Amino acid sequence: MSTIKEFLSADHSKCDEIFAKMEEKAGESLASARELCEEFKNETEKHFQMEERVMFLEFENKTGMTQGPTAMMRQEHTQMRALMAQMLEAIDADNKDRFFGLSETLMILLQQHNMKEEQMLYPMAQQHLAADSDRIVDMMESLIVE
Amino acid sequence: MELAGLSTDQAPPISAPVRFFLTAPLFGILAGFLILFSDANTLMNRYSIESIVITHAITIGFLSFIMLGSMTQMLPVLAGAKMPKVELVTKSSYFLLVIGVISMLFGLYTSDTLFNIIAFIGLGGGFLIILTATALSLKTVVNFNATVRGISTSMVFAFLIVFMGLYLLYSYIINDIDSTHMVVANVHSVWAVFGFAVILIIGVTFQVLPMFYVAPKFKAFCKKRVVWLISIGLIIWLILSAYFEEYTLFGKLWIAMFVWAFATTVWLKLSKRRRPISDVTVWYWRSASIFLTLGSFLWIFDEYFKHEYIVMVAILIGGFILSIIIGMLYKIVPFLVWFHLNGMGYMSIPTINEMINKRVAQIQFVLFIASLIGFIFSFYMPNLLQVSAISFIISMILLEYNVIAPVLVYMKTKKTKPDFDMSMFEAPKE
Repeated sequence: MSTIKEFLSADHSKCDEIFAKMEEKAGESLASARELCEEFKNETEKHFQMEERVMFLEFENKTGMTQGPTAMMRQEHTQMRALMAQMLEAIDADNKDRFFGLSETLMILLQQHNMKEEQMLYPMAQQHLAADSDRIVDMMESLIVE
Repeated sequence: MELAGLSTDQAPPISAPVRFFLTAPLFGILAGFLILFSDANTLMNRYSIESIVITHAITIGFLSFIMLGSMTQMLPVLAGAKMPKVELVTKSSYFLLVIGVISMLFGLYTSDTLFNIIAFIGLGGGFLIILTATALSLKTVVNFNATVRGISTSMVFAFLIVFMGLYLLYSYIINDIDSTHMVVANVHSVWAVFGFAVILIIGVTFQVLPMFYVAPKFKAFCKKRVVWLISIGLIIWLILSAYFEEYTLFGKLWIAMFVWAFATTVWLKLSKRRRPISDVTVWYWRSASIFLTLGSFLWIFDEYFKHEYIVMVAILIGGFILSIIIGMLYKIVPFLVWFHLNGMGYMSIPTINEMINKRVAQIQFVLFIASLIGFIFSFYMPNLLQVSAISFIISMILLEYNVIAPVLVYMKTKKTKPDFDMSMFEAPKE
């Protein structure tokens, strides 16, 4: 079974792929990208919830750090959720400039967020939660999005 | 493990990198005017005072300002390393470097000892403060990946070239330009380009290209070995040029081969990127890759000619290093503004594409590349130099405009507070 770090990093790449496909479609027409944009939003939401409802909680319980790195990551999740909602609005309004402006902003926000997680938080989580790694990955895999 | 980079209140203030970014194009403009009033013949000779002054207006005033300024922001994100006393470090080093570089340009031009002494103190102090702070923050990194290794290696070269540069400046102060001066000057310039700039860019590219353009990741061999292979090449080259001068070409071939391989890899990765977007930053990556390829070959041929300094500088420093840095600036400045404003709770901020005028960025790119091509051909047609210099100056003015625009958005938003809303960051009610 993959470690927490491997599992969540692979999920980042999966979301990146959908994001790239969505932008490609949006280049043709925004309406045709709606489905992929929804898919991206849902997959990303699932990723956020796997962290917020499972891994972050385990990490916070184990380390006692509730105002540390996980708080910052939660805040960035909130920023990204807002941007994804605005992207769907831009699709409804058929405003390409607005859409690509938002997607570019989201892309950079997302990537620097992923870097911080993959470079720091995941290795740290793996270190503290090594003994429970399989159980935590299982829980994340079977999570039902709220 | 250092976690400061993950916490909002401890993230470096936006002013820390931005003051460097706002100043850099001004030195670009200054360099453009200095070229405008030079003649092509003087700029063929790498040891002419004009060549030295113009090169340093660009390398210190433009390149080092942007590279070191972005380190304050990139280290927390890329490596989880936070610069100690970032406000004090960036303010004092900025102040010292500005004074230092202006004094050096003026001191060398007019052979004024006092200005050269001020330059020595300013540049020595400024560089040592910010490089030491960067090195200290790198020491705290636990997860030592390829990017951090690249940055750390380039920092070692940075210290060495600063010491060599100070020695060179000192020999102007005591007015003693001997044969050692020439040897050190040669090592200083080659290590600055290939040791500091190229290695730093390679390290950052490993991370940035796959992430921002969803390009294929670099192979493990490339990530593990290239930086070391180039560093070893630079040391071999140094030993050869000191003791076996007739064989230096082999050292150069070694370095150029890996640098060229890297340039080609960048091109291929970009072609395979999954994001279809082709904005001005992608154009800059492309042009950097072409110019680096040209530059590594020309550097080999330079062994036989040695009189085309302006061509070398235009290709390697202008075409490769400047291209990458300007491209990066177009992403980093608007993002920083957006990120800081959004983090403060402002919701309806322009997106990063709306902060930079795309049309202006495209014109800036075209004028910049045209000026480089002009500089290269001014070797054959000296009359091209002036018109190329004007093109370069305008491109730098447009770049300054595109850096100022997002900063104005930041200041205006903070002043007018359109829709301050912290509710989204409150803890969800259970």
